[in-house]
Amino acid sequence: MANQTTETVRLMIDGISISVPKGTLVIEAARQAGVMIPHFCYHPKLKPDANCRMCLVEIERVRKLQTSCSTVATEGMAVRTATTVVNDAHKSVLEFILANHPLDCPVCDQGGRCDLQDFSHQYTATSRFAETKRIFQKEYFSPLIETQMNRCVQCLRCVRYCDEVMDVKALAPIGRGTMTEIKSFGNHPLDCEFCGGCVQICPVGAITSRLSMYEYRPWMLKRADTICTFCGDGCQITVQTKDQELIEVNSAHSGGRNNGDLCARGYFGFHAASHPDRVTHPLIRRNGTLVEATWEEALLFVAEQTNRIKQAHGPQAFGGLISGRCTNEELYLFQKFMRLTIGTNNLDSSARYGHVNGVQAMRRVQGTHRWTVTFEDIVQADVLLLVGTNITEANPITGLKVKEAVKKQEATLLTIEALQPAVGTISNITNLSKQHLCVAPSQFGAAVLGLLKAVIEGDHVDPGIRQRASDYVSALSHAVRQIAWEDLAVSTGISSDSFAQMAASVVRGRRVVVLAGQILLRSQGGYGMCLNLLDLLLLSGKLTSPGCGFAPLAEENNDQGAVEMGAVAELLPGALDLTDQDSRDRMARAWKEELPLVPGGTLIEMVDRASAGIIKSLFVVGENPVGSLPSQIRAKEALSKLDLLVCQELFLTETAALAHVVLPAASAMEKAGTFTNTEGHAQAVRPAIDPVGDSRPDWEILSAFSVFLGAPLEYGEAKEILKEIRSVIPGYGSLGPSPIAPTADPSAIDRYVTEGYRHDVAIRYTLPPRAVRQEGTVQLGLVQSLFHSGKFSTHSKGLLQIEPSAFLQMNPVDAARFALGSGDRVRLSNNRGQFITTVKVLERVPEGLAWLPDHFAQEALRLFDCVIDPDTKVPSFRTATVSVLKAT
Amino acid sequence: MPKYELILLKNMMQPGYTGSLQEYERAGGYQALRKVVGKVPPTEVTMAVMKSGLRGRGGAGFPTGVKWGFLPKDYQGPRYLCCNADESEPGTFKDRQLMERDPHQLLEGIVLACYAIGAESAYIYIRGELVLAAKILEQAIAEAQAAGYIGANILGTGITANVWVHRGAGAYICGEETALLESLEGKRGLPRFKPPFPATNGLYNKPTVVNNVETLANLPHIIGRGPEWFASIGSPPKSTGTRVFCVSGHVKRPGNYEVPMGVTFRELIYEHAGGMRSDKPLKAFIPGGASAPFLTSDHLDVKLDFESVAAAGSMLGSGGVTVMEEGTPMVWAALRLMEFFYHESCGKCSPCREGSSWLVQTMRRIVAKRGQMEDLETLVDLCKNIEGRTVCAFGEAEVAPIMSTLKYWRSEYVTLIQEAEAANLIRLEPTVARH
Ligand SMILES: Cc1cc2nc3c(=O)[nH]c(=O)nc-3n(C[C@H](O)[C@H](O)[C@H](O)COP(=O)(O)O)c2cc1C
Ligand code: SF4
Ligand code: SF4
Ligand code: SF4
Ligand code: SF4
Ligand code: FES
Repeated sequence: MANQTTETVRLMIDGISISVPKGTLVIEAARQAGVMIPHFCYHPKLKPDANCRMCLVEIERVRKLQTSCSTVATEGMAVRTATTVVNDAHKSVLEFILANHPLDCPVCDQGGRCDLQDFSHQYTATSRFAETKRIFQKEYFSPLIETQMNRCVQCLRCVRYCDEVMDVKALAPIGRGTMTEIKSFGNHPLDCEFCGGCVQICPVGAITSRLSMYEYRPWMLKRADTICTFCGDGCQITVQTKDQELIEVNSAHSGGRNNGDLCARGYFGFHAASHPDRVTHPLIRRNGTLVEATWEEALLFVAEQTNRIKQAHGPQAFGGLISGRCTNEELYLFQKFMRLTIGTNNLDSSARYGHVNGVQAMRRVQGTHRWTVTFEDIVQADVLLLVGTNITEANPITGLKVKEAVKKQEATLLTIEALQPAVGTISNITNLSKQHLCVAPSQFGAAVLGLLKAVIEGDHVDPGIRQRASDYVSALSHAVRQIAWEDLAVSTGISSDSFAQMAASVVRGRRVVVLAGQILLRSQGGYGMCLNLLDLLLLSGKLTSPGCGFAPLAEENNDQGAVEMGAVAELLPGALDLTDQDSRDRMARAWKEELPLVPGGTLIEMVDRASAGIIKSLFVVGENPVGSLPSQIRAKEALSKLDLLVCQELFLTETAALAHVVLPAASAMEKAGTFTNTEGHAQAVRPAIDPVGDSRPDWEILSAFSVFLGAPLEYGEAKEILKEIRSVIPGYGSLGPSPIAPTADPSAIDRYVTEGYRHDVAIRYTLPPRAVRQEGTVQLGLVQSLFHSGKFSTHSKGLLQIEPSAFLQMNPVDAARFALGSGDRVRLSNNRGQFITTVKVLERVPEGLAWLPDHFAQEALRLFDCVIDPDTKVPSFRTATVSVLKAT
Repeated sequence: MPKYELILLKNMMQPGYTGSLQEYERAGGYQALRKVVGKVPPTEVTMAVMKSGLRGRGGAGFPTGVKWGFLPKDYQGPRYLCCNADESEPGTFKDRQLMERDPHQLLEGIVLACYAIGAESAYIYIRGELVLAAKILEQAIAEAQAAGYIGANILGTGITANVWVHRGAGAYICGEETALLESLEGKRGLPRFKPPFPATNGLYNKPTVVNNVETLANLPHIIGRGPEWFASIGSPPKSTGTRVFCVSGHVKRPGNYEVPMGVTFRELIYEHAGGMRSDKPLKAFIPGGASAPFLTSDHLDVKLDFESVAAAGSMLGSGGVTVMEEGTPMVWAALRLMEFFYHESCGKCSPCREGSSWLVQTMRRIVAKRGQMEDLETLVDLCKNIEGRTVCAFGEAEVAPIMSTLKYWRSEYVTLIQEAEAANLIRLEPTVARH
């Protein structure tokens, strides 16, 4: 728990009197008083180490000079930072630091934004050093990060960051004294999370990015503050460009929800946008092949075909799919286009792949479509429960918040993950768990039920809810009683004692946040599990307590926006029910037009309807159903039957390759708009470069369609769409620095506990089927990799250097069982087909499971079964049982 | 026959004494432990140590009882005792003998300290090279455990005190108490900045006492014979008890000599250590290990106690007395020590890391007759810029040889530089341009 003390102390800094919270370091107090004390090793994110000695100050009544970065301000303290003595000390420390420095600033990438340069300039540093300088031989460090150890000032910020913030511990100082150099921990090139944090935090040019080496001088770069597109965390990034070329991404302002931290995708993945394979001109299919065309030709073609199909078959012959990577403006315009210009509710977005499960559960139980907590609540939580998050790889920055809560604020971390605690090259959140239940993804549901049973039978049910909703409580009590501890133990391998222990920890918590990740959200029964986790919070009396809440993690950067913009069949803007007459009327008033009445088809339904010949035309914006859905869905066959397939795309994806018209879309680096992150925080997206080739932002293309179709939805710039969004959707008013989370709606909860919970209780409170795993097989799971995000990032040269191809991760015991070692080729097969890949043996994979990163899994998709959730229509195809054979 | 009553070296000076448990017990060992454990409240043990005036034998000379008193009184949870057996200070070799020859004396001291401060675990952090001592201690711990002096239920009192030996890996800096703690935790042995001090935030961030081997070895005697007895030895009130001085260098009989504090250097060197090796006059001596500034023949009548040596401008430090005869080149001697400090600077903080390399290179040049007059000014400047600005006391230590030789033997520096200038060598431009 954060000890938020309001106690203050008053001290004097260079004659300025200032009052600061108790516990503030002198260097921070000085900063608040407007006095900048020079420093190298100090960084507000890190524990003080006081090694550089640059920040020495005089403190009245203290004999020696003190390091202001490690001295806590106390009442009545008088600090002097600019006396001759202090000044001489700063100069002398600088002289020492410069002694062995190579003074190679002209070829240093940090030159111009280097603390050492700046302080040298400030103190007009001179050096009497005329001895021989220490020289380190240059050694290969890593594919993406370069070191130049002669420049290192040994402040250990990089090492400390990698340990304290990232929990990766990939770096270490090697050697002693002047021969200390920073190396990867172990005798091999750096193998880590490649978050770029060490590059960012190095005060000098000793650790730099190889992606932009020698390509710029900082003052040549143009900067754009925007939002990363690789996951739902919504990190603020600063994109630096030179002559329309992407040079570097960082988060140096330390702003944004990420507080300056990034993951490998954000830091090193930016080149995806400038890949040479980008579609740069409109393409029209002529005689079976896609050929270049002008925008007019393409738009005209789309308009003619659209009109023809609409006349012949009506609006229900159309459908639309949009990617959750698009901006809110685009998502909003897209659904408006589909609903008004075309006249159908057949529309969906990538939120359907899992995010809808979490949102619908929140809507049903607590009446919100957003989290009731923020990242700050995660950091300040005293109990955190993570279920199926794979957080380090899927939502790395949310993962950092969890790490901060545990490492700095001593929160109790409880995890239910398909992960084993192990030391590895990337951090493993279960290493920090107070209690970890290692469960296969197919049994997460069972584990959640175990926890609920333990809460109910351990007599932990909140008296308030027991009184207010006795039927609900007794229905759930009855339901959990039907489940035997023995069966739970067989399903999960977890004893009733363990469940009881975890339940007790949850109940004891005062600020309890439950995070549910993609593995859970995308599994079969994901919706039910979300509801059950909400039941857990309700029963334990936490759901409406401040600082408590349920937080399903968004996969795509704007999955949350997609739902809020109404870019899903069943919801209108503001995540209002399409079937709700009031909501329909409101939208109709705003749009001055009636909305189509026929309920829309969702992703899989549209594919099925295309297959059945009911849907004749699809508008696809940045989505790739052919590449993403398992072959069982037969998306390729279905889409091949269409009369008109229009794709707005960056690349010629498997879906775009089938299209009649492909329109070059601008990437997020090239457009303005907003994204809404997993917390429900809308943030500004700004263009860093001009659209590549003839590409245009998706909203412009949609707007152009509407004009050509004679029902114009015209906007001069993205801001005008945002203005309209603001007028129809609450929560888009100001783009402030942090979100204001909604509170759970008491009337919604009332509805839920009186009636709403009822219809599916029996189903939700049944143990999921137990997979009987035969000899020679493993449970194959698709997971998010830290180094990629969907197919998009596989166009990033930086990320491809870390992870160039697919591989199967498996436990050493299983590997031994199949006589496999890292690097071996392996054939995975079941009655659906087979797939050959390479093995990587990793201790963090639990026995009996094997993981495949989903962005390279296209060919493996044929092995997976697809189950559609009856309520939320979310297709689940994340696990499959496969035989394993060494391939020769 | 020794002139003074031996305390710490008494047993081992008995012919045939092997240091086994049996012999230690026969010599009255573990009686102090029996006397207090479970009978006298721990705070009274601490009081007794305070009364005895015992001060740390590791270097800084901090009053031991006072240090124990800094542990938080109301802290729930583990506390630790660490015995600093890293003895790496050049010219210091007393702890080794105390451990090898009479291990149970130390162990009894450790258990007494554990009892006093409420620690259930003690770690002996021993210099890696002291292989024999480590083995002997391991064996002695096993014996003491079997006899119920160490372990879960000491002498049936229900009190726990476990003792472990942890071997260092060869860094001088790991003798600095906070670097020792880091190393013990399995990290790189780098000093921590202070405050906070180990008393509140020590091993694994728990309240911890770090004491030197010799300090702890005194405890059985203080408890056994009473603090008043101890306080009457040496030169009370500030320097009580005896010290084992390690005499080395140009003397006839180098070795460890236990004498009450307050005897003069002259007595130690000329009586106990047999006088100068080749009967040349004494030129210089280091009174307390390599970290202590040099003294000269003028200081022979200084008394061997904390205050007197400090007043003479040096320190009693670790008790390592290194003697140099007339004819010893003092600049070279200072360089020799500087080489040691350069080699051992851990590199954590800039002034020491960079300063040591700078100092050593300048000193090498001067000794190699490539110096310049302005080097002397630079040396003094660098030393002043290191002193008092470092993370640990190593900074003060490393400048001591240069500062003190410059103080007493500046002429030797000047001569070397004059010779360099006289040789009229073509001055090579410095390898790196000044800026
Ligand atoms: C660079 C450095 C090296 C040290 N080495 C030792 C050592 O080898 N043994 C030792 O007992 N104390 C050593 N010390 C002193 C310890 O930091 C600490 O003061 C001592 O162990 C405390 O024990 P005492 O109070 O019993 O003397 C060293 C200090 C410094 C600064
Ligand atoms: S890139 Fe990140 S994980 Fe890798 S060494 Fe640097 S800080 Fe550590
Ligand atoms: S590489 Fe940079 S951050 Fe790391 S120790 Fe050196 S100067 Fe500091
Ligand atoms: S991928 Fe997610 S966590 Fe990584 S930088 Fe982008 S938004 Fe942040
Ligand atoms: S003074 Fe020297 S030995 Fe001590 S911490 Fe600094 S660099 Fe290390
Ligand atoms: S910033 Fe304070 S010592 Fe480095």
